[in-house]
Amino acid sequence: MARAEGLYSRVVAWLKIILPLAALALLSTLFLLSRSGDPMMDTPFAEALASGETVQQKVSAPYFAGTTRRGEMLIMTAESARPGLDGKIHANSLEATLTQSNGATIQLNAPEATLRDGQQEALLEGGVRIESSTGYVVVTDGLISEFNETRARTTGPVKGTAPFGTLDAGGLQISPAETEGDVLLLFTDGVKLIYEPKPKE
Amino acid sequence: AQGAQVSFGSMQQDTSAPVEVTADSLSVNQSNGTALYQGNVVIAQGDMRLAAPRVLVVYSEQAGRIERLEATGGVVLVSGEEAAEAERADYNIEAGTVVMSGNVLLTQGPNALTAERMTVNLETGSAQMSGRVKTVLQQQDEEQTGN
Repeated sequence: MARAEGLYSRVVAWLKIILPLAALALLSTLFLLSRSGDPMMDTPFAEALASGETVQQKVSAPYFAGTTRRGEMLIMTAESARPGLDGKIHANSLEATLTQSNGATIQLNAPEATLRDGQQEALLEGGVRIESSTGYVVVTDGLISEFNETRARTTGPVKGTAPFGTLDAGGLQISPAETEGDVLLLFTDGVKLIYEPKPKE
Repeated sequence: AQGAQVSFGSMQQDTSAPVEVTADSLSVNQSNGTALYQGNVVIAQGDMRLAAPRVLVVYSEQAGRIERLEATGGVVLVSGEEAAEAERADYNIEAGTVVMSGNVLLTQGPNALTAERMTVNLETGSAQMSGRVKTVLQQQDEEQTGN
């Protein structure tokens, strides 16, 4: 049936053309005129990946616990551990705590450690801090400690405090004593201790 | 038992001066914390020197305080120009006394005294000897005392 005359029908007719065109234009801004941002840029990548550490095998916060033949418990934790070549394991900020059957403890902290499984030995480096429950807190630069037995020796001189004064010595060996369950801290190659007698209260 | 009171050490000893112990090795037992110095141990305080092959540290009750040092195996105590030898010496730091026992030999210049036990009080610089005290006084020969 023919279109009726009059303004209204003319407006509707024009709208029938303009409105779809407007819709088309709106739709095209969605795809054709989209922002130039490269979608790959701001996706959150791990920094490790960005700095190239892609191939590393890494254990974070490793925890090792074991008991020695004589019943002393050894607990080792670190920030992270990476396997090195020929069976070595590199750990950083290692903390080892050795607890004797009677409760006395020795705590070792070192920024870097290389654990050699073959010889059941760990080499702690970079400033090792040794603290014993008997009140000895000493610092040395390196220490070699064994896993299967409470035996360790420093690779250099030791400096620090004893329960009753300041102490420095040429070296320190931690070894099992003859009597069962006892551990000896043996400061060797010259020991010097300064004791300040406290004024008698 | 008869005893002899002698002066020991030229001047009063400040018993709160720092005590310095040097030795070849120190072995600490982790279970009970006893500390044993071995190998030409020298204990020094002020101008007093105590030398011995073995010294055991005995703690007092409060933590961090040494009650006494037990030196054994042949001890030499030197203070000022006097010297005393004995088999064993107990240096009580808090009380400021050194008790030497086991054929003590005290030499003061030319004179020599031997006894079983000697207690040196470092604060007053006096020594109390007891147990078969024997004194050997060197006779000054004439021309020395002429002046």
